Amino acid sequence: MKETTVERKYLPEMQQKEMDELRNTVKVASEKIIADNIARMKKADPHRPDAMKYFDDIANLFGKRQQEIEAEKAKGKKVIGYMCLFAPTELITAADAIPVRVNSGWYDTSKLGDRVVPVEVCPVIRSTIGAKMIQLSPFLEQSDALISVLTCDGMTKLSEILSDQKTIWGMNVPRVKDSTHSLRFWSDEIKQMKTQIETFTGNKIDRKKLKESIEVSHRATKVFRRLQELRKGNPVIMGRDAMLVNQAYSWDDKVRWTENAEKLCNELEARAAKKDWVVSPDIPRVMVTGTPMFWPDNWKLPTLVEEGNPQGIIVADEQCSGERILNDPIGVDEWSMDDMLNAISERYLMASTCPCFTSKDGNEDRINWLITKIKDWNIQGVIYYVIRGCMLYAMEYSRVKKALDKINVPVYYLDTEYTREDVGQMKTRVEAFLEMLNARVDF
Amino acid sequence: MADLTKEEFWRWREYHRVMPKKWSKADIITAGVDVGSVGSKAAIMVNGEAYAWGITRTGSNSPESAKKALDYALQDTGLTVGDLKYIVGTGYGRVNVPMANKAITEIACHAKGANYIWGPRVRTVLDVGGQDIKAIKIDETGRVVSFLMNDKCAAGTGRGMEVFADLLQIPIEDIGDISLKVEKEPDPVSCTCVAFAKTEAMGLLRKGWSKEKVLAAYTRAMAVRMANLINRVGYEPELVVTGGQSKNIGIVSRIEVILGVKTLPMPRWREDGLDPMVAGALGAALLGKALYEKAQKA
Repeated sequence: MKETTVERKYLPEMQQKEMDELRNTVKVASEKIIADNIARMKKADPHRPDAMKYFDDIANLFGKRQQEIEAEKAKGKKVIGYMCLFAPTELITAADAIPVRVNSGWYDTSKLGDRVVPVEVCPVIRSTIGAKMIQLSPFLEQSDALISVLTCDGMTKLSEILSDQKTIWGMNVPRVKDSTHSLRFWSDEIKQMKTQIETFTGNKIDRKKLKESIEVSHRATKVFRRLQELRKGNPVIMGRDAMLVNQAYSWDDKVRWTENAEKLCNELEARAAKKDWVVSPDIPRVMVTGTPMFWPDNWKLPTLVEEGNPQGIIVADEQCSGERILNDPIGVDEWSMDDMLNAISERYLMASTCPCFTSKDGNEDRINWLITKIKDWNIQGVIYYVIRGCMLYAMEYSRVKKALDKINVPVYYLDTEYTREDVGQMKTRVEAFLEMLNARVDF
Repeated sequence: MADLTKEEFWRWREYHRVMPKKWSKADIITAGVDVGSVGSKAAIMVNGEAYAWGITRTGSNSPESAKKALDYALQDTGLTVGDLKYIVGTGYGRVNVPMANKAITEIACHAKGANYIWGPRVRTVLDVGGQDIKAIKIDETGRVVSFLMNDKCAAGTGRGMEVFADLLQIPIEDIGDISLKVEKEPDPVSCTCVAFAKTEAMGLLRKGWSKEKVLAAYTRAMAVRMANLINRVGYEPELVVTGGQSKNIGIVSRIEVILGVKTLPMPRWREDGLDPMVAGALGAALLGKALYEKAQKA
């Protein structure tokens, strides 16, 4: 792959041999972790839906999807990676390019990132840097350009660091949501990105193509919502399975993902009709909010909850690695180019509950999301998940706690790092929380 | 060469106790086995009343430590494992208690145990173990309402005290008293990190500080950390301390000063009272009784 050959401002020069050795070690370990995660998910549900097979396949980051993208690239398609959910993927697909999310979930590479930034920095950032250093991440490597939306401090500087080796397009997102000119400013950013993508790919984004792209997103959102809807009642799918399906959208082919998610929902509806619950309907229903949890390594919390003693089930989340990906449709009225671009701008800015935003009510949108979910999904307890270094989520905790105290829903602040070393401690904390939720109904 | 006969200052003494009480086969006899990082504790209850307990050291093998603790608790009681209707495993090694019918976290068990030892007035429990500290809020029945626990970092836990006991050649059981033998309370050490504790203490000793002063400064720092945890979970009277460090008067009295509150008095565990170090095992045995009765009804 052609990498830009500018002088490196951040990333250390590494010997090819060291890089290859490290990549192979981490890759082998990672393939094992992917297989192990999936094996455990299979074990958790003896009647696991057949449609999950497809997503298990896509979950192998070094498998089918990587090869597919490679083949598309060989035919001349461009791949455009992105870190934050604010990247308008509809513009990418409308220009006949492939969007992939490239945040790293590998624990091991965060230690490599320590060579570039201090350990206090968010592990997602350090891990992504580390992955770039040893060229581990298939999708990051395949990306011809990266859209970096300047949300938190980590993401902002990450884009600078990655610019050593990648073409970066920064998008400046206004952090005061409800100011009168914020949306206008963001709309301009979106329009500029459209031109950027057109120039880069050589493909004009016309009205018809953009409409098609938005319609693909609409269909995806529809089935996505159907899946979350199915998690409202007695459990028909393990939280981990649903979370993997949701997250796989970030690197999968959008149309095919939608078809397979529909198959899954059909199976789940049949299951619900037969009252074939995946676990006892009496076990605590948990929601997770906070720092994103990226596949494959950072799967420890859902695993601990759903394999816990006592057992719990995750029925909802409020995370940018989960339900935030597709929750909100793009509200188009007239399908003119202007209207579509404005609708995209609005969808990406206004619907977001990312803690990087504030407004005259602070991040009230996030509180509303949480409370709505808690009520409609009948949630008994919330785990507030923070990876140390994730300042914005850590800082919003007090407000969330107060809001949830008011409606008498327990919330537990679980802080951790990109490591497996604390799984024992985490297990005690998670299980004590689940015991507490059980004790509220039955002692 | 290491001196194998050297006294292990950092270790708690193992002991066991049998209360003057009769039991018959008709009684509901349950046990709790609390395998901690340093100590393994087991408690036997007869109809929900504490009958016997044993405190042993945790070895490298959790199942063996659990067995050793339970055997020690059963010693001189005339009971055998077969007489136990229900056994609950708890503590860090709870998943490795082979004879247990069920595993419950030490958080729920310490909550229940504190409620048993001190009664329904207890609302806040601070459990200071060998490698973790937990602040637990409970209701009048001993149920957990909320809790906080340190992460994998052992700063401010009993482990730090062990390092000092070893370094200063003072038995761990005397550390609390000795730390109070200072005319004026020194500033707390800046860092409770266990890894740096030794270095920091050496530095202070070299500066000419007395053992008492060094201990006071470190104990103070630990107490500040614990008081913070209590404040974060939200202090509500009455407060009690459980776990190994509940016996460290230097810690407990400093927490009282920092928070400006009183803890409920320590039972006379050396004489005829219950030992807060076995709160987790007692709670486990009590929860075991509840689970046994529930199973009988079903």
